[in-house]
Amino acid sequence: MSLDNILNHWSDYRKGAEEGGHHDYEHRWAMAINLDLCIGCNACSTACYAENNLAVVGKEKFERGQAMHWMRIERYWDQQELEHPEQGASFLPMMCQQCGAATCEPVCPVAATYHTPDGLNAQVYNRCIGSRYCSNNCPFRVRYFNFYSYYESSWPEPMEQQLNPDISVRDKGVMEKCTFCVQRIRTVKDKAFMEDRSVQDGEVVPACAQACPTSAIVFGDTMDEGSVVSKLWKKHQVERGVYQKTKLAKKDADLRGYRIFEELNVDPSVMYLERVREDI
Amino acid sequence: MSGKMNRRNFLKVMGWSGAGVALTGCDMPTTVTLEEGKEEVVSYLMPEEYVIPGVGVWYASTCTQCAAGCGIHGRVREGRVLKLEGNPDAAMNNGKLCMMGQAGVQGHYNPDRINTPMMRTGGSLTPISWDKALGVLEEKLGTVNGDRFAWFTGTISGHQSVLLTNHLDTMGSTNHYAHEVVNNAVSRAVNQDMLGEANPRLRLDKAKMIVSFGADFMGASQSPVQYAGQYAKFRTNKERGLLVQIESKMSLTGGSADLWLAIKPGTEAVLALGMANLLLNKIKISDAGIPADVRTLIDTYDITKVAQMTGVAGDRIQRVTQLLSERAPSLVLAGAGVEGQAQGYAATAAIMMLNHILGNVGKTIESAGDFPFPQLMAKQGGTADLVAFAEAAKAKKLDAVIFHGSNPIYSAPKSLGLTEAMANIGFKVAISQFPDETTMAADLVLPVDSYLEDWGTQVPVDQAEANAIHVQQPLMEKLNAETKGLGDILLTLLKQRKKDDYGQFEDYYAYLRNAFAAMPTSVKNAAKSNDEFWNMALQTGVIKVDAGTKTLQSTVVSFAAPVEDNNAGLTLLPSPRLGLFDGRHANLPWLQEAPDQISKVVWDSWVEIHPDTAAKMGIGNLDLVEVSSAQGSVKLRVVLLKGMHADAVAIPLGQGHEAYGRYAKGLGVNPLQILDATTDGKTGELAMYSTRVTVKRVGPADSLSIVRMGTGAGDSQVGRKLVVTVPVEQVRRTEGT
Repeated sequence: MSLDNILNHWSDYRKGAEEGGHHDYEHRWAMAINLDLCIGCNACSTACYAENNLAVVGKEKFERGQAMHWMRIERYWDQQELEHPEQGASFLPMMCQQCGAATCEPVCPVAATYHTPDGLNAQVYNRCIGSRYCSNNCPFRVRYFNFYSYYESSWPEPMEQQLNPDISVRDKGVMEKCTFCVQRIRTVKDKAFMEDRSVQDGEVVPACAQACPTSAIVFGDTMDEGSVVSKLWKKHQVERGVYQKTKLAKKDADLRGYRIFEELNVDPSVMYLERVREDI
Repeated sequence: MSGKMNRRNFLKVMGWSGAGVALTGCDMPTTVTLEEGKEEVVSYLMPEEYVIPGVGVWYASTCTQCAAGCGIHGRVREGRVLKLEGNPDAAMNNGKLCMMGQAGVQGHYNPDRINTPMMRTGGSLTPISWDKALGVLEEKLGTVNGDRFAWFTGTISGHQSVLLTNHLDTMGSTNHYAHEVVNNAVSRAVNQDMLGEANPRLRLDKAKMIVSFGADFMGASQSPVQYAGQYAKFRTNKERGLLVQIESKMSLTGGSADLWLAIKPGTEAVLALGMANLLLNKIKISDAGIPADVRTLIDTYDITKVAQMTGVAGDRIQRVTQLLSERAPSLVLAGAGVEGQAQGYAATAAIMMLNHILGNVGKTIESAGDFPFPQLMAKQGGTADLVAFAEAAKAKKLDAVIFHGSNPIYSAPKSLGLTEAMANIGFKVAISQFPDETTMAADLVLPVDSYLEDWGTQVPVDQAEANAIHVQQPLMEKLNAETKGLGDILLTLLKQRKKDDYGQFEDYYAYLRNAFAAMPTSVKNAAKSNDEFWNMALQTGVIKVDAGTKTLQSTVVSFAAPVEDNNAGLTLLPSPRLGLFDGRHANLPWLQEAPDQISKVVWDSWVEIHPDTAAKMGIGNLDLVEVSSAQGSVKLRVVLLKGMHADAVAIPLGQGHEAYGRYAKGLGVNPLQILDATTDGKTGELAMYSTRVTVKRVGPADSLSIVRMGTGAGDSQVGRKLVVTVPVEQVRRTEGT
């Protein structure tokens, strides 16, 4: 993407999302995460380390905020005025929200982060020059920068044999983040193409959703109207490209769906379902 | 079949002996020679035929990261295992896997694995050959008196357990010590007495309400993935299940509670008796089946007294009890904090009695049936065996001990005197993957395969409705030629003693092939031949076994009255956690870097204290403190946590290793070391949750020396709409559709 191109098409690019996207999308991968089922157990996070060659940085670098946990469980304490947290903890699995109008994309000086026809917010490691503008601009703080080369420290022999050959190991100076397990999506799409059919709902399962012991994470294609994730989005009246909406509360409607920082108009691809508590 | 073994002995060797097993005579296997064996050998030995470069293939096996025994699938590409996931054919974990299971590959590829046999010469362990090691083993075990020989393991099941028991038999010994820090031994004893079954099947998914007295069923429990799956159903049932967690330190499970109540440590039995009092005397539920002495005891616990003793508000107790009576069936559970009291049995019995009163037995607590192969069933570990072992060692009753799958030197409280007593054991053998504390104290070290390189069978204790034997197969070739499988080592030991019975088996693989061929036809299902059955078993990783149906009895046993503890002070809770667990996973960097679920600390130990308690002692967040018991003290940093009772301090387990490789060694402290050696009188289990400690500030706060994830703004959402909580009324009408 040349500078000319960026300058000339800036507004189109920014507005694209509101006008149905700046792509002819093939898929719009999305998630629905039921916070009432999330128990904060870390299975998803560890599965992500295993699948995506995430570096272990150690205590010191963790303290500096350099941990590479693409999928992390945030834990909040509500009811802080009480003597004890009587409704337990609030757990939040947080990973790249694959925004439809991602704030990280337009600030990249070299277009290393861009939107794919799958609706993913892709990171081209080879193109990344490490400006970290994208990370600065991400409201979710889900972009992770390789301040060091971790190959030696994180995978001492024979640990490197565990590395997933489907994806690279990122080196110093490169930004990385959750890809919705793009390598798994790729494999399934290739298989479907070879068999001359479309991708079926449930065929792509990212490592986090696969591991989740309570099945709190549902993954799928919102362009496939029959997919579970589409139905969930629809049921909870969460729509792509619609930022402020008064939900039509029908009788018997369970409308727990919301997207985090929806007010920022970034069109996240992850819908969360509100945590439920019974007050007794 | 060689003529040297009779039928009964044959069944015993193969692990199928037991009540109600009908074997067809014509199905006896023939001896597998090396040549024949080679013809049948499966993929891992000749990968070139199965490997398609660039394509990952998933093979079924069984997880051994904890004693639960979940089924797994391992992705193998170019002959290397890369990723583990749950096996959907295994009903208990239903395709899911926890963080410890995910990190199994890091144990397998761990840079600190032992890759050669070692023997202690001149005070230090030096490498020797397998021939020499086995020679020494044969010589030493050949001269030891049977009574003075023992095995020391963790929970062990399947054919490895069969061979181990058979080895003990050939040695003329009955000394098998099974030790697990995270165990439910006291509950097993109570269940045996009250329900007639030690390990009944819990059905959280059928309960409308769960009251858990510190049972961390989704965290450090006997089968965390299974119970998390049941919890998901419990929450998404038409009528959303209600979870009340009552404990002194918030556990992972407590984090998901609708109502979390802090209770004074050690008073859970009092609360249970108070609730029983309300159920019988106020709500007027029948007291049928309750022994007279227990009935009298219940009547002495009125609500005012109970509220005062436990620190739980009276109106809360009444409300929870009222709801329990309304939302049937419910389920009441007792956890480690209850079992691990000086009167653990009585306290657990008082809590389990509530299930009897509420009529939950048979509804949310079912019989697990009769597993038809008792020889294969798990020998479950506890801490009573650790105590007994320490006593035997101190009394110089043991001359030779083989250790496997347990690290007693790390997990025994100093007060047991085990480390010193180990010197009384003349010959200590460690069959071990890692240089842990016990292995480093051994005289002979035998390097063992990882579970991803080894054959085996596992019989999970907590099974889903369909009972199964889980099959463990190598997912890749050994990383190091010098390691041997546990089964192979056991077989070698048996061959040294009883060549007639075991000489026919070239290796453990051949033994297992024979054992599978000898399996009753009822289990073999539709398989037309032994080979087909074997292949089916490897393919699915699961052999379904019919355990029949049984009905549980529902009785209440007499139990001792709670002792009122007027000794003020802080109780130390050595809390296990999903991740490092009891310390066995401290050498897996993914788990060290995974923040603790509640306190979010990484790579360290810390002590959790309620802010009010800390303020009274002039202690602030992240201060350095000394936690001292009568047995010793540890220095570590404070993390203030409101999910604590004011009279409790908690130090999570897992760190404080003096050995165990580069990732574990020298990090944090080990709270197990400073525990009193008090035991529960009835079961002999260590009362791990009864040690009193004092806390003294010894250094200022330092945010650099203890690291937590995302601790800005006091862990508050500061008004952002991140995790939104809604009252249940909003969803009650539509959930579960």
